[in-house]
Amino acid sequence: MALSRRDFLKASAAAAALAAATGGRLGATDVHAAEGGIRWGKAPCRFCGTGCGVLVGVKDGRIVATKGDPAAPVNKGLNCIKGYFLSKVLYGKDRLTKPLIRKGNKMVEASWDEAMDLIASKFRESIAKHGPDSVAMFGSGQWTVFEGYAAAKLFKAGIGTNNIEPNARFCMASAVTGFMTTFNSDEPMGCYDDLDLGDTYFLWGANMAECHPVLFSRLIDNRLKNPKVKIIDFGTRFTRTSQMADKYIRFNPQTDLALLNAIAHIIVRDRLYDENFIRKHVVFKKGKTNIGYGLEDKFKFADDPKPMTFDEYREFLKPYTPEYVSKLSGVPAKTIEEVARLYADKSRKVNSLWTMGFNQHVRGTWVNNLVYNVHLLTGKICKPGENPMSLTGQPSACGTAREVGTFTHRLPADMVVMNEEHRKKAAEIWGVPAEKIPAKPTYHATEMFRALDRGDIKVLWVQVTNPFQSAPNLSRYRKGARKGGDRFIIVSDIYPTRSTELADVVLPSASWVEKEGFFGNAERRGQQWFKMVEPPGEARNDLWQTMELARRLGHGNLFPYKYVEKEMFEEYRKFTLGQGKDLAPYEAYTKARGLRWPVVNGKETLWRYTEGYDPYVKAGEGVKFYKNKPNDYKAVIWARPYEPAAEAPDRQYPFWLCTGRVLEQWHTGTMTGRVPELKRAYGGAVCEIHPEDAKRLKVKHGDKVRVTSRRGSIVLTADLRGRGKAEKGNVFVAFFDENKMINELCIDAYCPISGEPDYKKCAVKLEKA
Amino acid sequence: MSGAEEETKRVSRRHFLKGSLALPLALTVAGGLLTVPSLRRADARGFYLRPPGALAEKCFLGACIRCGKCVQACPYRAIRLAETDAGVAIGTPFIIAREEPCQLCTDLPCIKSCPSGALDKGVTEVEKVRMGTAVIIDRENCLSIRGLRCEVCYRNCPLIDRAITIEPRHNPRTGVHTIMEPVVHRDKCVGCGICEKSCVREQPVIVVQRTPLPQQDAYEF
Repeated sequence: MALSRRDFLKASAAAAALAAATGGRLGATDVHAAEGGIRWGKAPCRFCGTGCGVLVGVKDGRIVATKGDPAAPVNKGLNCIKGYFLSKVLYGKDRLTKPLIRKGNKMVEASWDEAMDLIASKFRESIAKHGPDSVAMFGSGQWTVFEGYAAAKLFKAGIGTNNIEPNARFCMASAVTGFMTTFNSDEPMGCYDDLDLGDTYFLWGANMAECHPVLFSRLIDNRLKNPKVKIIDFGTRFTRTSQMADKYIRFNPQTDLALLNAIAHIIVRDRLYDENFIRKHVVFKKGKTNIGYGLEDKFKFADDPKPMTFDEYREFLKPYTPEYVSKLSGVPAKTIEEVARLYADKSRKVNSLWTMGFNQHVRGTWVNNLVYNVHLLTGKICKPGENPMSLTGQPSACGTAREVGTFTHRLPADMVVMNEEHRKKAAEIWGVPAEKIPAKPTYHATEMFRALDRGDIKVLWVQVTNPFQSAPNLSRYRKGARKGGDRFIIVSDIYPTRSTELADVVLPSASWVEKEGFFGNAERRGQQWFKMVEPPGEARNDLWQTMELARRLGHGNLFPYKYVEKEMFEEYRKFTLGQGKDLAPYEAYTKARGLRWPVVNGKETLWRYTEGYDPYVKAGEGVKFYKNKPNDYKAVIWARPYEPAAEAPDRQYPFWLCTGRVLEQWHTGTMTGRVPELKRAYGGAVCEIHPEDAKRLKVKHGDKVRVTSRRGSIVLTADLRGRGKAEKGNVFVAFFDENKMINELCIDAYCPISGEPDYKKCAVKLEKA
Repeated sequence: MSGAEEETKRVSRRHFLKGSLALPLALTVAGGLLTVPSLRRADARGFYLRPPGALAEKCFLGACIRCGKCVQACPYRAIRLAETDAGVAIGTPFIIAREEPCQLCTDLPCIKSCPSGALDKGVTEVEKVRMGTAVIIDRENCLSIRGLRCEVCYRNCPLIDRAITIEPRHNPRTGVHTIMEPVVHRDKCVGCGICEKSCVREQPVIVVQRTPLPQQDAYEF
């Protein structure tokens, strides 16, 4: 503690110095503020995956102000409105400050000892009676690297189960399997600099204007400077992004698969591809088709990749003519032709950006593969200003969930439990026998909640997330959680949530700068911060909570650290060195405003796989997909067909339901919902309906409308004037509102390869309520 | 919540002043150009946000029979009645946008309910309503103009992209970002006050004011 406090002081001095050096105006503010007794420290924002840097002002043990960090390369002193109110998110009136234990229908305050003893006894009992696979941890892309690492190590190397999953399975898993199947290494080759350097941007299923506000501001600035810049927004809903785009292309839900194949069809048909790039860097493959939707419990899928030739791929693309795909997608054939030509235009630097529209998709992996296909065919990849870029929604979905590998099948740095060599390496670093780490993945997130419902999982610990609001087909899993028997649920959070209300033990957690932390953002940038204030009451760090359970279960030896965060990081770092995922020494992150891995010899990497930028690519190699050893260091173009959604509108349920976010609120609203200003700015979820549909239903703006799916029903206010304009036959509802949990209506169908559910497509009916 | 109390207090004061001063309309229009502090103050406080369809203030005060039917008709309880401190305006309906703005019901039930014609039955579409005009009164404190991604007023505007649009311009301070400035269009803004309520600043930087009168000249651009 003493050490980290001292480091914090040092860091804030450095921050002030840096600010003073970089910008006269803000430097002056800092000096002024210091006179007011405010000490400033650096931290990444607590919200989305952009990773904006902020300066946190502390006075008398309390956060009194935050401001965008002018020295942070991501945002250069700016924030969105959520980031602006960061200083308030920790100070809601109902912060949890004491452990609570369920006594009948009441939650009773308890000491940490009582709570941890009870939790440890439940773990011990369940493991003894039902084996280690009866206990589980559901974590988060908001976990710090330390929290995720400790949880993964305890479960995989201590308890001996792969029952650990992050909520990132609900939002990023398809991006991961997309990267893994195409490049055999997770995370993007490009970085945010591409937003400044390119001239053609295709947005797919991404409402960047609201969900990545500061990045969108950067993208628009590029267009202001360069008249050549074109932004084309592919979507199923007209958003604030569509409004600012040069072109909005509306398509029928699920037909993005066909559209991308049609684009590839035209590129191949008209020989617009980069033959040299393909010969050098690409192989072709196909996998299984008709792969299902994971609607049945214990659904299993294993792909069976088969190599194919360019000619066979050409044959595969044949049916995806612009005319055929036009009928399917609703996009005019002429537009498809134009888009394909823009993608292939040799004078254009083309980028694709996507988020949940691609990832939360029953063919999420495929659609990720398909967008890479287009970039690989045209060779528009691994170049400054020319890349496909998967944007992320959580502050450390990349840094923690993906890089540390807090998924059932993963280990740190792209390794997996199924691989014996990987298990050996992990066991060696972790100081446990290799047999300790089970070789079989168990449940991915949706299956984990199914297992809890069935009773196969007895004890579930939820940290830094709110699955009983955010899971799809929510009613089933909420009921399942309270079925009783041996089930025992622990939820660590900072506020009462729709998940804590189902818990047997609620643990009060420290949040953000109430602890030392490390997040990794969407452009591979790792960012560290020091603890700046004490958590309220008896609230404690989730990291401490996990290590305390470990100690009580006899696994304390897994965490032999004095300065826990630093030593743990240095241990974790060993996984990354020499793997093309190299992290810098901890010390470096305490000073830098983040570094993009691989960091080799103190130098960060802006473009992966690219000569002159990536130290793993030798002179003369140009581009090398060096992580893809099984495919001769080449990237894979996948033949992935169009297949329909799991549930499509029919006579009984004639509308598509899509869910998502708004700028003012974040995730399940547990933090932003505590900020009165944000609540006033966007207080409750509404249902966006197309005016013509509304007219037919005799629904006016502001009327109540009942939205019903096969799984649930909810009454919402109809919105015909809003920021988002539903297309005909579609409705949209944001998922943040804890009083209007739209996820009760969502189907728990998922991508068989990634296990990520499709929150963007299910069938509903509407009635005037 | 102390903000809300303050607001009410301020409005009560406003009623008092309104009742005692009864400023002519022309003075209000000219107010922006005048520098005499006392006049500016009185001018700023002379404006009531009336329900949709309200006649011009003088005519409205003459026509309104203070029956309270529009108050009853408002499903959002946005319309309230001026109390005893309002002088001649006692019992007249008005709206405090910062607390509960007009939600601009499609069928305008308040207008339908008005027996006296003080709320003009000729106003049948929300686009035709003119209660006032939103104005960014404090650019320095507007987060969007400072380059932050706020634009809450814009996204909440019921006439989004018409009454308020975003005018993007380069942010020279960061060199790579856009200032997304919300711009109110007087010919489209109905003055509902939803922007004023939603502004995240402690004091709203966008507020509804009396719509300035058009001023004629020979220029055609």
